Formats: sequence, structure tokens, C-alpha cells
Amino acid sequence: MSQTAPTGDNKPNPEAGSVVFKRKGFQFMGLGTQDFIRFFFGGNASLAIIILILICVFLAKEAFMFFPQHHAGLKDYRQSGQEFVDYIGDEIGAHTNLYSSANIAYFAEVNRTSREEDDILRAHRAVLANLENLTSKTWGRFEREVDALEDVGDDLEDLDPAKEEDQPKIAALQEEKERLEKEIVKFRVELKEEVSAAINTNEAWELGVGSDAPPPESLPKLREAVLFEASPEVDEEHPYIAELKAVSKAKKAAAVEEFADFKATLKAMQDVVRPLKSLHSEIRSIASENKAVLVKLSTAADRKEAWIKGAAATKDPDEKARMLAEAEKVVIEAPDYDAMAEPFYEVIPEHAALIAPIDTEMAVLFQQLPDKVETRSAHENLKRAKVYYDRFVKTVAENRENIKGWSHEKPVSAVESVSSFLFGRDWITNSSWHDVYGLLPIFTGSLLISIIALVVAVPFAVSAAIYVNQLAPLREQNFVKPAIEFIEAIPSVVLGFFGILVFGETLRVVSQVEWLQWVPGFPMAERLTILNAGLLLAFMAIPTIFTLTEDALNNIPQALTENSLAMGASKLQTVFRVVVPTAVSGIIAAVLLGFGRIIGETMVVLLVAGNKIKIPDFTEGIGVIAQPTHTMTGIIAQELAEVDAGSLHWRALFMVGMVLFAISLIVNFSAQRVLKRFQKI
Amino acid sequence: MKKTLALFAAVALVAGANAEDKIVIKGSDTLGAKMVPQLAEAYKEAGNEVSFEIAAEGSSSAFTNLLAGTADIGMSSRNIKDSEVDEFTAKGMEIKDWIGAYDMIGVIVNENSSIEGLTVEQIEGIFTGDITDWSEVGGDAGPISVYTRNTSSGTYKSFQEMAMNKRDYGADTQKMAGNEQIAEEVAKNANGIGYVGLAYTDKDGIKAVAVNDVELKPENAKDYPIARSLHYYTIDGKLSEAATKFLTWATTDEKAAEIVSRVGFIALSE
Repeated sequence: MSQTAPTGDNKPNPEAGSVVFKRKGFQFMGLGTQDFIRFFFGGNASLAIIILILICVFLAKEAFMFFPQHHAGLKDYRQSGQEFVDYIGDEIGAHTNLYSSANIAYFAEVNRTSREEDDILRAHRAVLANLENLTSKTWGRFEREVDALEDVGDDLEDLDPAKEEDQPKIAALQEEKERLEKEIVKFRVELKEEVSAAINTNEAWELGVGSDAPPPESLPKLREAVLFEASPEVDEEHPYIAELKAVSKAKKAAAVEEFADFKATLKAMQDVVRPLKSLHSEIRSIASENKAVLVKLSTAADRKEAWIKGAAATKDPDEKARMLAEAEKVVIEAPDYDAMAEPFYEVIPEHAALIAPIDTEMAVLFQQLPDKVETRSAHENLKRAKVYYDRFVKTVAENRENIKGWSHEKPVSAVESVSSFLFGRDWITNSSWHDVYGLLPIFTGSLLISIIALVVAVPFAVSAAIYVNQLAPLREQNFVKPAIEFIEAIPSVVLGFFGILVFGETLRVVSQVEWLQWVPGFPMAERLTILNAGLLLAFMAIPTIFTLTEDALNNIPQALTENSLAMGASKLQTVFRVVVPTAVSGIIAAVLLGFGRIIGETMVVLLVAGNKIKIPDFTEGIGVIAQPTHTMTGIIAQELAEVDAGSLHWRALFMVGMVLFAISLIVNFSAQRVLKRFQKI
Repeated sequence: MKKTLALFAAVALVAGANAEDKIVIKGSDTLGAKMVPQLAEAYKEAGNEVSFEIAAEGSSSAFTNLLAGTADIGMSSRNIKDSEVDEFTAKGMEIKDWIGAYDMIGVIVNENSSIEGLTVEQIEGIFTGDITDWSEVGGDAGPISVYTRNTSSGTYKSFQEMAMNKRDYGADTQKMAGNEQIAEEVAKNANGIGYVGLAYTDKDGIKAVAVNDVELKPENAKDYPIARSLHYYTIDGKLSEAATKFLTWATTDEKAAEIVSRVGFIALSE
């Protein structure tokens, strides 16, 4: 730099500056218009942040208060003896599962003998119902005419032919009657024609989900029987159907004889547990009463205060005295917990005496179940019975210890209160017995749906983005991009409605197609399933992932592409070896944000997921997708309307919201981190 | 300035007058879907100048709304729970119960099902999850799909009390938003079972089964095991005159009784 450079003009001149930018016009306390505009925007931004913080604090406070309250609830559960009763209930439940599986196997074997007849009978019912639906309009008109005729008949009976003044009425009614009778004859012919036309349609022979077709040689007779029964004059069974019913019944009776041993085993299984069941229901009502006492106690202080307040407010002396008396009646003192628990301690030896023979006898009875069965259903159910038997033995062994060591005074640890929420396997609310709040069923439901949605959405969205951004001609770009982004404009409730009415049924019909049976979970019995919800959410996530991936690809410096092309790489080589690998972190961030979008979606899953609060049965492998489930977002939407502010249930829903919030936070945070790495290039 | 104030006062007065004649009714879907809206229409047609706001979100919402003062009348398809009574007393309020009609809950299966009747014990087994296959109750084999109302519904609770021995629903049950949705799913699922109010049992694709050999017909109301009363709940002493007049009309008038039976419930007089 030269020392002799001319100075003066370039030198900052503070005075000159203040002349150029002289503040004129509105001034208030030394602040100009521009300052106010600046403060206005700055203030709004910080207000938004403050509100966000307040919301977070409110949510967190309401949610974390769940744990102390939950802790108190668990304490009540123990002190009332409900915990003790549920130990015995578990044993009975394990036994019921075992018995039920064996019972299904038994009936599968018995029904096997009459399968052919039953298939025809089932088809008969289905076709009749289909015909009725197909011709329901004419049927309705026909039945109205018949009713009208009956009414006319009644009116005629009321009138006296001997009376002079009734004569014109009678004549009019007679005329009406004749007209109706003619109409009915006409309708009969019409109906007959309609039915014989309808039976030739394919709709008439749709047999419904999961039913086996009747043997082809029975079809002509079945058709004849249906035509006979669907005609308006007939109100009786066709002899063919009656015969089938008789044969089916006789075959079943013979099968019952054949499997008499099996039945005897089942009956013995049921008998052996009966005394335990009656003991259970006996102590169950004691525990229920205890629980009611404890619940009353928890609101007692409030009630007393309310009566006293009410008494202070009223002017009527009688009313005042009554309210004070009511307040006096409210008992706040804690009940005698030891006395409450006494009946359960007394039951312990009785239970031990009951369970020992059940244990040994069940072992014998289980061995008596047949090993060789004919039907697949029976085979599978006996296999399941084996699993349930092992579980039964385990439950009995565990609960023997639990019952022996049970104490109503044993403190409930804080860890228990937290872990029974986070890892609880049941979500039971509005129960007459004991509410249970376990996150796992709804958490797994949300997760499964999200995984399906991602597995479907990511390939579509990412490849569409690569194509549109790198390969598509401009005209195509201008069409495809807005089209995909338009999906985002569809309200989710509309999509959910579509899922219930159209998509669910379509999926189920498709799942019945024979050559698709290799797909896990097919054929599906339900319409509202994990798969249905997952596919709809995939559809919703595609625009999010697509747009963000496209942005990531746009951010790749032009120089990289140009270098690659200049070195002789083809367009495809450039895209897959240079552009996509460079943008991969941006793509991962897009997928993560898509996941955030999916797991927070409420309306679609509430309508379409089937709302079954149970951890899906993973023994079916990927077939699990054909089951219904419930989600974290869905349960909040479904149950929040019914709960009282501040109740345990209310706080449990807040806690679920917190978990969702935490998931979103983690997802967004990791997306940001991934993106940051990407920006370093 | 004075003029403006006067204008404001006038507006406030008019608004006040309107607000008094508006009756807010909230609660059960069973009452609120058809019966109460039709009663309200008929009541207005009969020349009463009132307006109605009706929201049907389940019986539990009747009590939360009454408690919060956001409803004049609560509709409930179940009796009020002790714990709920306690909450009202804790706020110094007393609750009054009006019985509006009787209802029978129909247990419905797919119309192609071979099942014609069930016992209450079998129904308990099915809904608690003890029985999982139709063959166990005498039908053709197939896993049972159970559809129930959701937990805020009064039907959910009263069905539990009347047909399930107060036991909890099985974990396999699917909770649906309303009667319509249950009927819809059962109509489409050959192995489905669910329960709906009497008014919904004549839908296409479903049929009601006999319970303990008693068929679901209004004339069998006394013998049918799963029947209940439908309630209006109000807060004693706080009910507006218009609302009292409406409730008295709805529970005693002949025209009202006609509407009640037309939507499939059983009026008190029958």
C-alpha cells in the first residue's frame, strides 16, 4: 500500500455520514421509525420462542407429574390386594389360553367330517344374502305392498257391513284391495324374473372372505335350492338344504363319538381349574371393595372442603346445617390397611392346596391330548397349546413364589413406576378393575407403521427426486415436481376416509388372489391393518422426502458435475458415482425428516390402523403387517376427549405426547447433524 | 361516546337474550347421533324458539362438560359412576338424572355367519378373549374378529357391565369410533362380531344374534339380557327454564315418544 495515496475523500467522515443519514421525522424517546420496526420484528421472534418454551414447560410439567401419581396408583393396586388377585388371575388366564387352543383343535377335528356339507351350506347362505341385496329394491316395494294389503284387510274388519254409512268406505277399500292384490301378483312375477336374472351374475356367487368353494358337482342343486328359496311365495327350506343340514348334523354327531376321549380330556381340564376360579372371583370382589375405599379416600379432602365452602356461601340455615352434616360425614382418615389385606393372607394356604393338584393333573391331561390330528388347523392349535402349556407351567411356578412372598406393605419403588410405563405390555383404561398404562403396544404399533411407510416411500421418493433433478427433460420436470408436491395438499382426514372406504377393501380383495398367496400375511381378514395405514402414510411422506432430496441434489456444486463430465464420465456415471454419493447425507436427512412426518401423523392412523391395543404377534414374521394395531398419536386423539384434566389417565396421555415429542426432537436433531456434515464439502 | 356505549349495551343485551335460549347438549353418541337431534328438530317445529348445540363424543364427555360448565344437558348411555358423582360433590354440585328411553344392545355378526344365537357366557368369553374361534361356540371355524366401541363410549362400559361380568375387554379387540363403523366392519368381515344399539341392527350385511335364546326385538325388552336405560343428566338448580321445558317435553310428550321409537329405542311409556 502506498503511503502517499490521496486521502480525504476516502476517509470516513463521521460528520458527513450523519448528514447523509440524518434521522428525520418521527422520534420518540430518541428512537426512530426504523428502530421501532426493528424492535417489532425482533420482539415477535422472541415472543414466539418464549411461547414455545412455555408450551414445553407446561407439557413437561403435566407429563412428569404422571410418575408420582402413577406411583400412588400402583401403591393402591398393591394395598387393595388387586395385585394378589391378579396373580391368581394370571394362572387362570394361562390355563384358559391352553384350554381354548385345545378346544379349537377339537372342533376342527369334529367339523372336518362334515366339511363338504358345511361348505355348501355356507355358500347357500352367502348366495341367498347376495341375491337379497341385488334385488333389495323390488323386495322393498313388494313388502310395502304386502303390508298395505294387510292394513286394508284390518280396516275392512273394523267396518261393519250392516251399517249404512260405512258402505261407501267398504266399497273403496274393496277396490283398493283388489288393486293391491293385482299389484302383488305382478310384483311376484317381476321378482321371480329379477332373481333368476341375478343368479346368473358373478356378484351373486361371491362367497366372502376365507370361505372354501363348494364342490362343483353340488352347484346345480345348490342353484336350484337358492332359486326355490328366493322366490316370494316360498317360506320354507328346499329339501336339498334340509337334507344337507341333517347329514352335517349326523356326521358331526358321529365325529363327537369318535373323539369322545379328546372331549373328556378337555372337560377334565376345565373341571380341574373350577375351584381355583371360584376362589378367584371370591377374593376379586373383596379387592374391588378395597379399591373403592381407597379411591373414595383420595377425593375425600376435596369433598369435605367443597361442602364446607358450600355451607359458608349459602344463606338458608337448614341448607347450611345439612351441608355441614355432609361435610362431617366425609371420612378422611386412612382405613386399616392390615385389616383390608387380611383376607388375602388367609387365602394363601388355600391357594397352595388348590394349585398343587391342578399343576400335576394338567401335566397328565396335557399328555392325553392327541398327537396325531388330521386337519392343519388342529395341528397348529395343538402346537400353540404346547406353547401355552409351557407358559402355564412357568406362570404357576413364578406366581407360587409371588404369592408366598406377597406383602401389602412392600413399598413400590420409583423405578417400578417408570419402568411399568415405558416397558408395560398392556394399555387398559376405563377399566372396572385396574387401569394399566404400558407404552409398548402403542409404541410398537407406531414404529411398525412407520417402518412400512419408510420402506415403501424411500425408494419411490428418492429415485423420483434423482430422476427429476438430474435426468428428466425440463418439460417433464415442470410437470412431475408440482404433481408430487401436490400430494401434500391432500388433507390427511380425506386420505384416512379413502383408506377406510376404498383402499382397505381393495387391499383385502387383492390379498385373496390366488397367485399372490406367497406374500406374507395374505390373505388378510381385516380391512384396517398395519399395512393399510403404512401404505397411506408412505403416500403422505413421499412429497416430504422427495422435496428435501431434491434440495440436497440441488446443493451439489456445479463444479463437481462439470469436472466429472469433463473427465469423460457419462451422465449416468456422474449421477450415481458423483452426485448421489455427495448428496447422501442430505438424502439421509430427508429420510429422517420423512420419518418425523410419519410418526407424528394422527388422523390416518386413527381411522385406518384398526385400533387394537396389543403388541403385534411377531411369530407370523413379516405377516405381522396384516394385523390391526394402535398408535401413540391415535391413542391421544381417541382418548383425550374423555378424560378429566389432572387425572392419571390424562397425564398418561401427556406422557405419550412427551415420548412422541422426544422422538421428533431426536429425529430432527440427527437430521440437522447429518446435514451439517454435508455442508462442509 | 355515549351513543356508542348505548349501542354496545344493546348488542350485549340481544346477545344475552340469545344465549339464554340456546341449549347445549353433549355426551353419548348413542343418544346424540339420531335421537336427540331429531327431538330437537321436532321441538323447534312445535313452535318453541330455542336453538340447540349438540355434540356426541361419548358418555364420559357428558360429565366432563357438565363439570366444566360447557353443557346444559349431558347425554349418557350408562349410569353415572361413583367417582364422577364425587367430582360433582367436590365442586358443590348435585346431579339430576332424567331417564330418556330404553335401549337394547344388539350383538351383531356377519349375515353369512352360521351363528344364530349366543349365551351371555359365550359373549363374555368372546369379548374378553377367552374364546377366539367361532368353532368354540358352534359356528364354522375361523378366528373371531371383535369390534367394540372406544373407551369414552357409554356403550363400552354398559356392555362390560351387562354382558362381560365387568371383566376387561381382551387385548385383541378393535376399538371403533361409533356404531356405524362397527356395523360397517362386521358387514365386511365374515368372522366379525360387534355390538350396536338397536337402531343400527337393520343395516345391510349384518344380523343380530339371539342372546340366551331371546331375540332382539323391542317387544322382548324385558327379557333381553343386554338392555339398559338412556339418561339425560343435568345439574340441579342450574338448569335454564328453556332446557327444563325441553327435557320435560322430551321425556313425557307423545310426539317425542314417537320419535324415540322411530329411531329404534323404546320410549318410557311403552
